[in-house]
Amino acid sequence: MTAEIEIEAINLDFYYNGNVHALNGISLPINARQVTALIGPSGCGKTTLLRCFNRMHDLYPKHRYEGEITFKGKNILGGDIDLINLRSRIGMVFQKPTPFPMSIAENIAYGLRLKGIKKKNELVERIERALRHAALWEEVRDKLNSSAYDLSGGQQQRLVIARALAVEPEILLFDEPTSALDPISTAKIEELMAVLKKDVTIIIVTHNMQQAARVSDMTGFLYMGELIEFGATEKIFTNPDKKQTDDYITGRFG
Amino acid sequence: MTNEQKRKIDGVLALSLSGLAAAIGLFWLVYILADVIIHGIGALRLSLFFNDPAPAGVEGGGLRNAFVGQMMITGAATLIGVPVGVLGGTFLAEYARGRKIARVISILSDIMVSVPSIVVGAFVYSIVVRQVHHFSGWAGAFALSIIMVPVVLRTTENMLSLVPWTLREAAFALGAPYYKVIIQVVYRAAATGIFTGILLSIARVAGETAPLLFTSFNNNFFSGNMNGPLASLTVTIFQYAMGPYQSWHSQAWGAAFVITLFILALTIAGRLIIRWRYKH
Repeated sequence: MTAEIEIEAINLDFYYNGNVHALNGISLPINARQVTALIGPSGCGKTTLLRCFNRMHDLYPKHRYEGEITFKGKNILGGDIDLINLRSRIGMVFQKPTPFPMSIAENIAYGLRLKGIKKKNELVERIERALRHAALWEEVRDKLNSSAYDLSGGQQQRLVIARALAVEPEILLFDEPTSALDPISTAKIEELMAVLKKDVTIIIVTHNMQQAARVSDMTGFLYMGELIEFGATEKIFTNPDKKQTDDYITGRFG
Repeated sequence: MTNEQKRKIDGVLALSLSGLAAAIGLFWLVYILADVIIHGIGALRLSLFFNDPAPAGVEGGGLRNAFVGQMMITGAATLIGVPVGVLGGTFLAEYARGRKIARVISILSDIMVSVPSIVVGAFVYSIVVRQVHHFSGWAGAFALSIIMVPVVLRTTENMLSLVPWTLREAAFALGAPYYKVIIQVVYRAAATGIFTGILLSIARVAGETAPLLFTSFNNNFFSGNMNGPLASLTVTIFQYAMGPYQSWHSQAWGAAFVITLFILALTIAGRLIIRWRYKH
């Protein structure tokens, strides 16, 4: 497989609370415009790794990165990185839907205004485009000004995806995006990911191995802060090299 | 007597004692309220609101000066106290979150809430009134704002802490700087709670007399000058209730009724907002 690499962790170590060693020597290339799934048992470091890509850990004290994450040839773990710019290029969707306490349209406009887009007609046009992109437009077109809290959980999650898409990120990070949703909403989000990967690179953390198998092109298996195995999803789920991987995906532990 | 009977008697005893205590408390509360309402309503007439006081001993006149002065002092106190309280609470819940200094300030401000208000009055007397050599509406407003700040600060801190962290993270993840996250997302999520805290803090200071005695003092004439002594309802009630004239007593009852009603309305509004907020 000779895909272009979008972002790559190189020998990455991460510590939180001063000295808790959460990630150990992770080297992981992420292919552009593909879905990469990170799987592993609870506490293995998959979410920690995901949150390194947009430096979410920087919100909390006493964290430390070692190693590199290169994005467009630049190490984003450096001190000279503008986090505001980085996070507008690498979006994130969380486990629980996180609509802001404002209208549906205002939710999308929030990110756009941060980018300096203020013209009314451009906002309107981009709000519609983002909602269409997230397959939500038909359901909300008549109630753009009503509260985002009035939407169902699945709709809220697609609204949050639309909000992230509106600022046109190059990468979208999904942190167990469907674990709080019903099966129908989950299926919609999974279908959406298949569409979105034409434009954006996706990294998804999931507890649900069937989901990883369904949506991803590449899969990485983490265990106790280490990347045990990384490869094409089909291979990881049918013929993994490592015994630990095999044990996990066949349900022998985790 | 079996153990079970003994426990039953203990239960009945505890229930009767606590019920009695509640009844005693409630009795006086209802008594005071009823007294204020009965005497107050009788004293209400338009002239109370629209006329200034008549010369001492002369029938008629009203308390326009005190109503206006009270509004000016409380209004100015709110304008000083609310921004300081809200910004201070924001500092504690956001920028100093989890740091020792936040804990220390929280505890200090809890202590401040229970400082007797006359101490605040004496404090402002010594640092403001003594320095400028005269009483003033500003000094009164300053004293009331000192009482407001810890109330607003702690409510703001609590309300902001209730906003889930994932909401902030979601805003950060879009590339928002922290001040925009706070102003545009966190404040919105906590708005009703903070607003309720502000209402309750106004209710808290609107009935204060002691801090005003030392600061804005009183004024028997209509005045709109915050730099001079200013009338307030509470100090006027104190003065009129102590006075020798029947008409003063009656007007003091009227003023007491109006201010009680005002505080009651603010408090009930605050409670209703809280209930409405947590139902949705």
